[in-house]
Amino acid sequence: MTESTSIAPQPVVNNSRSSTLQLVVRRGGARFGLAWIGLLVMVSVLAPFIASSHPWVMRVSGRVSSPLLQNLTALDITLVVASLMALLVWLLRLPPVKRIGTVAVASLLCFLVCSQLVNPSRLTVYEQYREGLRDGEVEWLIAAPVPWSPKDYLRDFGDTGLQPPGSHPERLHLMGTEENGADLLSRMVHASRLALGIGLVATGIALGLGVLLGGLMGYFSGWIDMLGMRLVEVFEAVPTLFLLLTFVAFFDRSLYMMMVIIGLTSWPGYARYVRAEFLRLRQLDYVQAAIVAGLPLRSILFRHILPNAAAPVLVAASFGVASAILAEATLSFLGLGLVDDPSWGQMLNQAVQSSTFNWWMALFPGFAIFMTVFSYNLIGEALRDALDPLVAENLAAATDARSGKA
Amino acid sequence: MLLEVAHLDTCLQLGDQQVSVVRSLQLHLSPGETLCLVGESGSGKSITALSIMRLLPAIASHPAGEIRLRKRADGESEDLLALDQTALTRIRGRRMAMIFQEPMSSLNPVFTIGEQIVEALQFCHPSMSFSTARDIAIATLREVQIDDAQERFDDYPHRLSGGQRQRVMIAMALVCEPDILIADEPTTALDVTVQAEILALIQKLQRERSMAVLFITHDLGVVAQIADRVAVMRDGEIVETGPRDQVLFRPAHQYTRKLLAALPENLPAVAEVPAAGEILASVDNLAVHFPRRGGLLRTVRSVVRAVDGVSLQIRRGEIVALVGESGSGKSTLGRALVRLIQPTAGDIYFAGTNVTRFSRREFQPYRSRLQFVFQDPLSSLNPRLNIATALCEPMAVHGIGASADERTELAAKLLEDVQLPREYLWRYPHEFSGGQRQRIGIARALATRPEFIVCDEVTSALDVSVQAELLQLLMTLRRQFNLSLLFITHNISVVEYISDKTAVMHKGKLVEFGATEQVCGNPSQDYTRRLISAVPRIGAVSSA
Repeated sequence: MTESTSIAPQPVVNNSRSSTLQLVVRRGGARFGLAWIGLLVMVSVLAPFIASSHPWVMRVSGRVSSPLLQNLTALDITLVVASLMALLVWLLRLPPVKRIGTVAVASLLCFLVCSQLVNPSRLTVYEQYREGLRDGEVEWLIAAPVPWSPKDYLRDFGDTGLQPPGSHPERLHLMGTEENGADLLSRMVHASRLALGIGLVATGIALGLGVLLGGLMGYFSGWIDMLGMRLVEVFEAVPTLFLLLTFVAFFDRSLYMMMVIIGLTSWPGYARYVRAEFLRLRQLDYVQAAIVAGLPLRSILFRHILPNAAAPVLVAASFGVASAILAEATLSFLGLGLVDDPSWGQMLNQAVQSSTFNWWMALFPGFAIFMTVFSYNLIGEALRDALDPLVAENLAAATDARSGKA
Repeated sequence: MLLEVAHLDTCLQLGDQQVSVVRSLQLHLSPGETLCLVGESGSGKSITALSIMRLLPAIASHPAGEIRLRKRADGESEDLLALDQTALTRIRGRRMAMIFQEPMSSLNPVFTIGEQIVEALQFCHPSMSFSTARDIAIATLREVQIDDAQERFDDYPHRLSGGQRQRVMIAMALVCEPDILIADEPTTALDVTVQAEILALIQKLQRERSMAVLFITHDLGVVAQIADRVAVMRDGEIVETGPRDQVLFRPAHQYTRKLLAALPENLPAVAEVPAAGEILASVDNLAVHFPRRGGLLRTVRSVVRAVDGVSLQIRRGEIVALVGESGSGKSTLGRALVRLIQPTAGDIYFAGTNVTRFSRREFQPYRSRLQFVFQDPLSSLNPRLNIATALCEPMAVHGIGASADERTELAAKLLEDVQLPREYLWRYPHEFSGGQRQRIGIARALATRPEFIVCDEVTSALDVSVQAELLQLLMTLRRQFNLSLLFITHNISVVEYISDKTAVMHKGKLVEFGATEQVCGNPSQDYTRRLISAVPRIGAVSSA
């Protein structure tokens, strides 16, 4: 905000934010974690393009059409637009606040417009393309890489059910099929959305509440702090899983309800971290200097304290994402998750449902859950090291020396 | 020769780099003599002490040199660098003992001081029974002048004051009757009166036991008081060694001369002092009490009277020094003056207006006129904001400068005022040294164009040469901007150099307030006299 042309050209500054990111990326483990999460993000954004029974393009009686595009939902389109915007904004190197703002506004607009305009048919008949191809009605089609939709229960085949990969040479199910006959790989791909979404949204809610309440408690202390800490203790006493079970028993099974409940029960941890940091930072000279300079409360809280208090909270948040994913998986494993939508935990549940052990139902979703939770933990660990000034300095020195030698 | 360090090099392994921190060090110690190792921060004096004790971490190495200690048995000497860890435990404590700077953290808080002394003693004499060890420990505590040694034996460290803890540390070091005592800045964290007692104690014990003492300090006044010989260190090398009087009064090396010239008492006097104007800021019967709460309902159990009925006036263009020992309430008074702490009773006047009970909004116009410079250069700047932002934000809030460009230009001017290049605007705090950060802190205080600045121990974390520059800068700025300063410090020589008037505080009360020459030269109160006489000075030695 204080860029100026009258002053000599700005020398290269050691921006602490970018160097932190670089340090995280430099860690082998974190690189692995980031790669897996990056893959998941790509897969979940492009899920309807990767795994769908709707062909990309087909020609029916001389007319070329794209059933895939016609069947996209408003959410599908918004996700693609949002990630394109994020990429664009990142390339344009806007300041961080503007970056987030632009993407958020664009996504919201896109969602509102799409939900008015896009109206995919509610009832889809997945068999039509296969039957059409068999009857010769469809002249040619380009199918998706995984040509099965997650809710395509293969009604045109009679012999469906829990089947390991390779049981039908004429239909390619790389990971087998689940109890209703749907392709497991396709369900895995679509379930990545749920895993990412629940982790990020639930942790986002918890983080927002925790930072707000913890910050107020820490800065004002006194009776606000006392009341806040009692509230924290009350919420810490609520067992997340049992609350989820109770809600599932009495109300509809809804993804959003799950996100909100996990978020509402996991904020006290963040609040404690933020409170402790604010209590410490409030006493530091640069915050006292900001008060003496007569800076407004907004600036003191959000400019002078919060950025310096973010480190431990970010670390805790990356572990929080992992535990939110696990909570949903546990619920689904118990058979109390979403009814029809794919979820990794619910697939695991089917591994032991019939009298036999269905190894493919255990291996693939189990591996995905393990990898995701593991990745978030690796990232959390690397963040913790990178944000610790002493460790960060040593890390930087070590990597610099190594790259210098190479 | 009891201890001889010859051509010692010390390197630290940082990443893949070998950093040489001490080069070709030559030292020797004879029984019964005190060698003072003097130098500014980063000169390698603590590293030297630790390397003699072989206490350096594994990243340190000694590519060359030897540390020879004479054996007790046959008078032959052995090289400590060649010894393994088991052989070293034979040396540490029994032959050489060490005391550290920070008395608050060098005792283990979960054991009584008696247990800690007995542990050290039984380590040297494994067969000694507890009751014998206890008797010796109590005798040693008496020797270091701990009152009621019998009862104190069972006390935990938190019940002792800083000076008492340092005495306990000395007792622990001496209980095995070592030949060499290495003291690493043992009085730096203590008040002057306590420092004087500890120095006298070390000298007395040394004479009684004819110990050799390696005393590390940055304070030339302490050197004058305690040293037989002096070694001056700079950047890992000893630049000058010699008998005390020779080094202090006829220094051969120019660095020693520079150090001596930077002492506040040797700084050139300020030519003309502007006449003081009308009363700008004053406090009337001000009291700040901190309640101590406890129990379930957080009821007030007792009250700490940090400031207790102080009245003080500061005129325009005047520098008033506020002196006192730690816990005397001087910082609290300074903070209350700029309304960082709400006073319990009494009034604060600024430019004739009673601002004591002004609300945040009412006080806002005064914020720009009253500023504060903080003690700790490490924490006084927000690590995530560059200097331009730190300087421009207060200006924007108080409507100084019409546009962002104009404010940036003003900020660049401010940096020039505190004698820093304007390119520093775009740097971040971690790129600066302590002295530079303190200058930036002053620039930030000046950003709102204040009339009155409270300086809270602004030089106490800095080396003497940096302190000298900063003091001279403050004198220049005071004339340039016609500032009034309340200069809070514990350093009497700084007071004598910088201030027009001096106020002495003790236990929350104002003991004495008057012109500096009078308070420092001819104090009327007992406490002030004690405080002033406890200050170690070089001049006191030369006249003796």
